[in-house]
Amino acid sequence: MKQYIVYSIPLAILWCFVNGDISIVNFTFGLVMSPVVIKPFKSLYNFEAEVSIRNDIRRIPKQLRYLAVLAIEITKANIMVAKIVLRPRININPGIITVPIRAKTDVGITAIANTISLTPGTLTIDVADDKSVLYVHLIDIHDREEIRASIRDDLEEYVLEALE
Amino acid sequence: MIGIGFVLDILSNIFLIVGLFFVFLGMLGLIRLPDVYNRLHTTTKIGTLGAFGVMLSILLKVGFSAMGLKAITIGLFLLLTAPVAAHMIARAAHRHGVDLCDESIIDEYCDSYDK
Amino acid sequence: MVFSIIPCVYRIIKGPTIPDRVVALDAMTLVIVATLGVYSFIQESVFFMDVALVLSIIAFVGTVTISKYLDEGVVF
Repeated sequence: MKQYIVYSIPLAILWCFVNGDISIVNFTFGLVMSPVVIKPFKSLYNFEAEVSIRNDIRRIPKQLRYLAVLAIEITKANIMVAKIVLRPRININPGIITVPIRAKTDVGITAIANTISLTPGTLTIDVADDKSVLYVHLIDIHDREEIRASIRDDLEEYVLEALE
Repeated sequence: MIGIGFVLDILSNIFLIVGLFFVFLGMLGLIRLPDVYNRLHTTTKIGTLGAFGVMLSILLKVGFSAMGLKAITIGLFLLLTAPVAAHMIARAAHRHGVDLCDESIIDEYCDSYDK
Repeated sequence: MVFSIIPCVYRIIKGPTIPDRVVALDAMTLVIVATLGVYSFIQESVFFMDVALVLSIIAFVGTVTISKYLDEGVVF
């Protein structure tokens, strides 16, 4: 029962945004309707996990810092790829390398993969079966170890702090 | 005295122009780059940020009305789903047998699965 | 905006492989969604925004479905 309420609040907020009208009436309507949505797709939500609201609230500053880092990285990525596109002659060295990761949970791996896809010159292709290695496509390889180190030290720290 | 509405107007115009320019650049990259994976780079990053910029400029223009809220919802949705779609296409392309372009120097993925 | 759609159509027709065409279709829906946003603002009508939202959702689901079909030969 507690899980229903916790999962209903994001759905109600989403309903407010999609409907384009943030008000108490609309939010309550979303809150009432969302268990109807959650019930058939119960297997997609992990009901076994223990929800602790206090733990979630404590993480919010770290998540905000992660979002700020993400915004800066996305802007840098766009300027870099735009430069590549605007070059008169395209000379790039693309390739696929492996990047070891430390994240263990599914949420963490998804977050790190999406973050890598949005940051400069990298694109996640697949995750290995044992969830320890990501395959990353790079648009311009100059130094393999440097890229691995930058992913491990800069991005993964924030993801681990924010989501695990 | 410059009002805040004026600043928001200028800001939203800047976002609109930058967004449209980035969308155009992304589609230019779709023509110019050599293979599937590099094209995915441009459409995922530049195209998504361009669309997000357009939606953000609409939000700044109309404020938190129905249109602005829907615009920012679309922008966040695009930002969330573009990496997932790109990952799916790249994985399917590699398993489907699309080779990397000639300039590629390394491929560590091809040993990881059996065709 | 029209100038942005031309490369997509070129890539859809010309594209050497099927994934190329999927990427181009995905990019084309992105351009159309952005255009619909601007058009909705010009017309001062909220309904085009709904169209854009639904179109982006359908584009995402379609891309994932085609990729899965290319990958494994089955959709589900």
